[in-house]
Amino acid sequence: MTDIFGQTLNLNYVLLLPEIVLLIFSMLVIGIDAFKRQLNISGNVPVGLALAGLVVALTLSILQVNMDEDFARLIQVDSFTSFFRILFIAITLVLIVGSHEYIEKSVSHVGEFYGLLLLATVGAMLMASARELLTAYLAIELLSFSLYIAVSLARSDRRSGEASLKYVLLGGVASASLLYGLSMIYGVTGATQYHEISAVLSAGDTGLTTPLLLGLVLIIVGLGFKASAVPFHMWTPDAYEGAPIPVTAFLSATSKAATIALFLRWFGGPLLPIASDWQFILSGVAVATMVVGNLVALQQVNIKRLLAYSSIGQMGYMLMAIVAVGSGFGSDATSAVLVHLAGYIITNLLVFISVTHFFNQTGQEEITSFKGLAQSNPYLALMITAGLFSLAGMPLLVGFFTKFILFQAVVSAGHLGLVTVAVVASTVSLYYYLMVVRQMYLYEPEDGTEQWRLSLTGYVTTLALFVSLVVFGLWGTPLYAAADAAAAGMF
Amino acid sequence: MIPIEYFLTLGAILFGLGLFGVLSRRSAILILMAIELMLAGVSINFIAFASYLDTDAFSGLIFALFVITVAAAEVGLALGIVLRLFRERRTSNVDEASDMRW
Repeated sequence: MTDIFGQTLNLNYVLLLPEIVLLIFSMLVIGIDAFKRQLNISGNVPVGLALAGLVVALTLSILQVNMDEDFARLIQVDSFTSFFRILFIAITLVLIVGSHEYIEKSVSHVGEFYGLLLLATVGAMLMASARELLTAYLAIELLSFSLYIAVSLARSDRRSGEASLKYVLLGGVASASLLYGLSMIYGVTGATQYHEISAVLSAGDTGLTTPLLLGLVLIIVGLGFKASAVPFHMWTPDAYEGAPIPVTAFLSATSKAATIALFLRWFGGPLLPIASDWQFILSGVAVATMVVGNLVALQQVNIKRLLAYSSIGQMGYMLMAIVAVGSGFGSDATSAVLVHLAGYIITNLLVFISVTHFFNQTGQEEITSFKGLAQSNPYLALMITAGLFSLAGMPLLVGFFTKFILFQAVVSAGHLGLVTVAVVASTVSLYYYLMVVRQMYLYEPEDGTEQWRLSLTGYVTTLALFVSLVVFGLWGTPLYAAADAAAAGMF
Repeated sequence: MIPIEYFLTLGAILFGLGLFGVLSRRSAILILMAIELMLAGVSINFIAFASYLDTDAFSGLIFALFVITVAAAEVGLALGIVLRLFRERRTSNVDEASDMRW
């Protein structure tokens, strides 16, 4: 195939097989769910189909690990893409297995819910693999639209609709400003392909600094919203609190990771030649995000809101490393971001799945309702403690190792001031993580010390996540090697 | 020929009006209309750039087409959510939908 200029187009659909498989399965899940009465199928079919689709897509992505090819100059399948594909599929897989009891009990429209999770995964995968602005924009919207609906699906919870409305209205404004920013970049460079933009911008002064700066600011506003960077974070705590817990986990893992992937693709690619223009904006945003996220977390009483602010703080550390990408340490800083992202996601999933099971048992999500959990369910208390300690960056757990690598990469790029703020913020964060741990271990349970157990899938997922938390904390080489390979694909 | 600045100014004015509408209106429906206005400004920008600077390719025009389509989808989705909120609370005012603070 050739395009209108006579250049050859590579239409090798095999490259897109993981995405295609997930799309087909998501449509199947939604379609079968719509006709489940007429077809007389049991309630386990949608979740089974969703899991089957994810497993097939995961296998296909693993088979494509060593690819480096583009699809029609729209999508690049390289090691960076493969890293994120495997990460995103694994997140959805773990989430569905770990919290399917919650989904069946507390989510309305279960089948559609699974379909939406698969669609959101596809959007996230395309965000990491796009090599052209329009494709990236459509991928962002595929992820966001699926999540707007998923947030509103908590059964009999008034907060859910409100959360979704806030998310969709603010999200619309953010996409509009992102698009205005992209139109400015397109106007200055006349291109939407990443490598063409990069070529025009590195060729020298375009003489159009004002539109370029406006474009950069608006792009940072739009992406900052998706990444919950301060001061565009106002939707985050509300959406996190109102959403069903698995969606909260999805928002804090996949949605954040996909935005960071896009940040790396854009600011480490087409926008790298004008790094000096955006570095100071992004450092300001990173500092504000670290400080505000960690300080406001101190006064939270709801565990989902606490984790929302904690994830805002974590985003600050990663934005700081993106500033380092602009200082010419692209490959090191990118690999550090990917390592920290993977560690953060393993930890966050452990905490969220544990909280899901706690909610299944007690129906409560206040921090004070965790009183005496160490007596009524010592296993779950240990899991939550390990997760929170890892988020705070305690040694022996993966959070320490990844945070160390991240901070080290930023220091070697010469941003000592940023790292100082990060270290102080990270110390503050220990306090609010310990508040939860204190409730679990230092108080007596309020309603008797009756013991309760998790379901089998609950034990399997939390134990698997806990083991990877400890193993990667002590021996992080495989994680580091994978991240290094992914970063090498980009630079 | 009309200079490109005219179109860009129109786009900027529409975008600014939309942003002002989002900040000043309290009804969810009117906020959605204001977001549409912002997106109209974006489309004008893309079309102007495409026809003045990038005449042999169509990326800008295709971008504008997609912006229009996605905006329509977004409004459909958001109206569904507004409808759900209205069923629960008998209001589409965003100030009254504030169970959650801080």
